[in-house]
Amino acid sequence: MRGKWLVFCFALVFLAGSVAFAQSQKIVRFTEAWPTYLDPAVGNDFSSSVSLANLYDTLVFPTYDGEIVPHLATSWEVSEDHLTYTFHLRQGVKFHNGEELKAEDVVFSMERLLAIGQGYSYIFKPIIDKVEAVDDYTVRFTLKKPFGPFLYALVRLYVLNKDEVLAHAEKTGEYGEYGDYGMNWLLTHDAGSGPYMVKEMKMEEYLHAVRFPDYWKPFDANAPDEFKFIGTTETATVRTLVKKRELEISDFRQPAEFYDAVSKIEGIKVAKLFGGSTFYCMMHTQKPPTDDVHFRRALAYIVDYDAIANQIFPGARQAQGPVSFILPGHNPEVYQYKRNIEKAKEELAQSKYANELDKYPVDLVWCAEVPDEEKVALLIQSNASELGITVNVIKTPWMKIMEEVAKPETTANMYLIFVSPHYAEAGSMLQSKYHSSSAGTWEQTEWLQDKELDQMTEDAIATVNDEERFAKYRKIQDYVVDLCPSLFLIDQPENYAYQDAYIDWIPAERAEKGEKVNPVMGYNHYMPDIKVYPEKRDELLRK
Amino acid sequence: MRRLGYSLFVLIGLSIVVFIIARLVPGDPARAALGPRATQEAVDALRARLHLDKPIYVQYAYWLKSVLQGDFGESLFTRRPVIEDIKEFLPATLELAFFAGLFMTFFGLLLGVISARYANTWVDNVVRVLSYLGIATPAFVVAIVLLLVFGMYYEIFPTIGRLTPGMSYPPRITGLLTLDSLFTGNLASFWDALKHLILPGISLSLGGLFQEARITRSSMLENAKKDYVGAARAYGIPERVVFSKYLFKPSVIPTVSILGLDFASLIGNAFLVELLFNWPGISRYGINVMLRKDVEAIVAVVMVLGIVFTVVNIVVDLLVAYLDPRIRLVAREE
Repeated sequence: MRGKWLVFCFALVFLAGSVAFAQSQKIVRFTEAWPTYLDPAVGNDFSSSVSLANLYDTLVFPTYDGEIVPHLATSWEVSEDHLTYTFHLRQGVKFHNGEELKAEDVVFSMERLLAIGQGYSYIFKPIIDKVEAVDDYTVRFTLKKPFGPFLYALVRLYVLNKDEVLAHAEKTGEYGEYGDYGMNWLLTHDAGSGPYMVKEMKMEEYLHAVRFPDYWKPFDANAPDEFKFIGTTETATVRTLVKKRELEISDFRQPAEFYDAVSKIEGIKVAKLFGGSTFYCMMHTQKPPTDDVHFRRALAYIVDYDAIANQIFPGARQAQGPVSFILPGHNPEVYQYKRNIEKAKEELAQSKYANELDKYPVDLVWCAEVPDEEKVALLIQSNASELGITVNVIKTPWMKIMEEVAKPETTANMYLIFVSPHYAEAGSMLQSKYHSSSAGTWEQTEWLQDKELDQMTEDAIATVNDEERFAKYRKIQDYVVDLCPSLFLIDQPENYAYQDAYIDWIPAERAEKGEKVNPVMGYNHYMPDIKVYPEKRDELLRK
Repeated sequence: MRRLGYSLFVLIGLSIVVFIIARLVPGDPARAALGPRATQEAVDALRARLHLDKPIYVQYAYWLKSVLQGDFGESLFTRRPVIEDIKEFLPATLELAFFAGLFMTFFGLLLGVISARYANTWVDNVVRVLSYLGIATPAFVVAIVLLLVFGMYYEIFPTIGRLTPGMSYPPRITGLLTLDSLFTGNLASFWDALKHLILPGISLSLGGLFQEARITRSSMLENAKKDYVGAARAYGIPERVVFSKYLFKPSVIPTVSILGLDFASLIGNAFLVELLFNWPGISRYGINVMLRKDVEAIVAVVMVLGIVFTVVNIVVDLLVAYLDPRIRLVAREE
């Protein structure tokens, strides 16, 4: 009898514990791969970019239409030689600890980023000469050379609270008087002024952030009170969380079967957001037989793009040229190679290797960590065989790919690689993909050393007027497509399952209408733009 | 003491092998850590800081020197001392392994005893079939099934993490949430932490549980035929005493020996279960650092698991010696 009472009490307490935390909150939870870095001088991957966009403010802000609008900076002037940018800061902006954001914090943030040399420093390192605080609310950037997309790049300068960072900096470190520059403290804390602030950071588990009540911009009444970034992409786990309504937005790394399954659950939709990432088959332009432009064009005409876009990566669209259609500066008129066997044969006939194809097999490398790439590699192999071209499909780990593409002699003929822009603008892709200086990196295994193209790219990037710059970009895209150093396979969407029944998510709605979404990585997860309706969630749970 | 001495050699050997393997995998750990777009100066500085620009034997000497000073180096991905990571993640795995171990021991022995008691009846047959299934099914398959059943259809148990969101962690004393909650009198946290242990704990323990059941059954059936058991019964010793003192105790010796190995392998095998239940433990951390080529962390995790394995084996040896007087005798004679 006593035993039964014990079991009864145990069950009662157990159930009581179950309901204690069942009330609905105005929260957005999403999954993504770990690690995420809260330090703006360290993080630059997807998960870090989402966190940084919500915890920190920037001088300017990217819109869904790909434009740049004032944010911390209310206005700015550019000098006649295009080397000096002067920004006027909004007054009364508070950091999360209550201190006011001033020009010296902007200066500190840029200097710290450049000194540490990680995160998004690679964007600024080649162009920033100096940064100075003119007064408390005016900051001046001097560039080494004119850089047209500077405003686009500035969305990656997240402003830190100088005093707070230095107060938490460890004395020992590799940055002289700044010790560790606060890097250790910033692993689990933020020093920002953004709409949300860190409540709890559990390494390898989750980041929990809550609304900053003194944020300078008013929140929508239905904006989330908090968000939680859960560090997992395990399909079974994510699927369970979605079904239990414990996850508002999934990560985009799930297999097609996942999206099929969850889209059948009431109230859940799948959003396909094009984020600017393009999938290329890069061709070595200095190694036979891909050094021959006709050979490369023959391959460009033989590939079955529809099969890649519709069957291997459902929801993707065939890339039009080297720049994703979502990026400002994309050329919508640029020539698009389509599968055409006759044209492929014509091009191959003009190739110097046409009569000795058996002597020149082509090595095609795909990244071992991305299993779907194998399907693309096998498809290209099969397509190429229609022309009598032998393609050897080679599976290689990513780390090894990075090593072997560093030298032209160890670089294979072809690589299947996804590339995203450094900053949301066509110039980024053109420079990192086809400028001579990027040869030998994983972004340019083509080993293109074209002086004319370099000069055109440098000239375009130095053009400050957006219209003029974009016109130059369009010409460069025509030039690159004609040169055909890569097969422009697909623009890859990021697929997210989300709780359409109780959240309003602007990028998903825009994508559904065929409109562009934010091209800057991380900003489609900008929490103040999301609206949550917990009562609708409760309704779903009661069903 | 002699066992301790042997163990020390094993650990040194292990450290050399793991150290070399971790560094021979293709790819530059510094570049992997800082990302493909980090400046070359930053990558070179990190390589120098990690001594990756030196020959491998020099790197090992640096590593050994640091370890002897209690420093396992810095994780390239969590960006903090590896020892901090281990302090954070090891207790989560130990808690899970202890829970799974208790579950495994209790139900393994129970099923074994029931199976032996009702040998060759339908009860025994059911247990045997379950045992074959349980041993043959990998822990991650059980985990996925439990996750889907209890996550999607019968939402009784929590499916991810160690604590429900919104519930604050108890002050850290041992790092084991159930114990820390009890120590601080936070019953709500205790029950919540316990509930979070159930699904991953069961997933992890089932293989070992059925193995224990099979071994206990065989051992009990074998010992039941021994003369001393028959003699005890002939003397009129009560069946309860015969069972517990003359049959159960000696039958449990092989089970305990296997239990030790199973317990140690729970920690090593926990990685998929930890991944699926988003359990922030050392096994999940270990697999992540391997995928990221986080050289210092890889070596540290393997060493920690090696130490746990060694300690558990020593404890098991002592336990078996306690249960079996013949082993104590042999040890003394040697």
